[in-house]
Amino acid sequence: MKKEIGSFVVGDSTKCTGCKACELACFTVHNRKSNHLGKTVGTVTVPVTPRLFLTKFEQGCMPIQCKHCEDAPCLNACTKGAISRIDHQVIVDAEKCIGCKDCMQACPFGAIALLPYARDGRLVGQAMSSEPKVFASKCDLCEGIEGGPACVRVCPHQALRLVDPEAEREEKNIRAAEALLLTKNWR
Amino acid sequence: MNYFVKGNPDLCIGCRTCMIGCVVAHEGKHIFEVDPDSYSFNPKLHMVKTANLSVPVQCKHCENPACMAVCPVGAISQKDHCIVIDTEKCMGCKSCMDACPFGAINMTVQTGKFQADGTEKKVANKCDLCYGFSGGPACVRVCPTEALTLVTEDELGDAMERKRAEAARNAYLETHPQE
Repeated sequence: MKKEIGSFVVGDSTKCTGCKACELACFTVHNRKSNHLGKTVGTVTVPVTPRLFLTKFEQGCMPIQCKHCEDAPCLNACTKGAISRIDHQVIVDAEKCIGCKDCMQACPFGAIALLPYARDGRLVGQAMSSEPKVFASKCDLCEGIEGGPACVRVCPHQALRLVDPEAEREEKNIRAAEALLLTKNWR
Repeated sequence: MNYFVKGNPDLCIGCRTCMIGCVVAHEGKHIFEVDPDSYSFNPKLHMVKTANLSVPVQCKHCENPACMAVCPVGAISQKDHCIVIDTEKCMGCKSCMDACPFGAINMTVQTGKFQADGTEKKVANKCDLCYGFSGGPACVRVCPTEALTLVTEDELGDAMERKRAEAARNAYLETHPQE
């Protein structure tokens, strides 16, 4: 069946220990080509810029990332047209992003952060400012990266899950239908 | 207590009239006269067919709805015995879809509404018990085998009381076998 809505990754706070392996894996796979990241720490010459955010709260911790909304407020808010929907996912074009912060304010999950933009192992500067160029950093479900979302693959506690919402919904439907067999004589 | 519509797999023949009735009730009768591609066919209940059964599955209008709890924009609320989605507020984040254990929520295209980049707007879609329409849930009315029932607080309460009385009677008979 044609996939009509976007997938997303969700964290499980009952399993997450807050080790941030997901953040590091995310940064690594997204910067292998553009910033020549290798397999050791010594190859990292740029700031660590994850696309999901380990979040601590009163009861525990879990990573928070983009839900790839179907009426995405960030996409609708972006005046520059730097956010678009590609193959059902909401994707930021870091080159086009001018750091206006509108998407950050529009997102109800806090799934976007403005982080320094680096290319070829160096921060990208600006003409009339000492501050580096930034970009809206958010989950792109590891678009174009072999093996799917790195956070899911790397988590040592399987606390992250790639959700295919429609397929899961259909499975849940079947369980619900079977439950109706048990409750049919409710009167 | 919230009301809900319940399907009986013994009576359901899987004809999907409930799904059509649902769309007609929410979209209007004009859907029979227009190009099928000009509106989105979005039933708010889902026909499940397996080797053992056929029955529609729809929202249970839970008393502590997980969908309502996870919605980040407060688009899901309780109104007059049912849980309803405000499609104007919904931004299609799918959190409710993930939270619902019955798979009662899906994402549907909002005909004629687009996002900033021109792609179709999709929002959460689920049974609203035909909220605001007269005559009650359309699926219940159109089902040819009467496989769907609207369960109200009174009905469920009465059934529970009947069952308790029956259990008490049986227990009494056990201790007073002579009667």
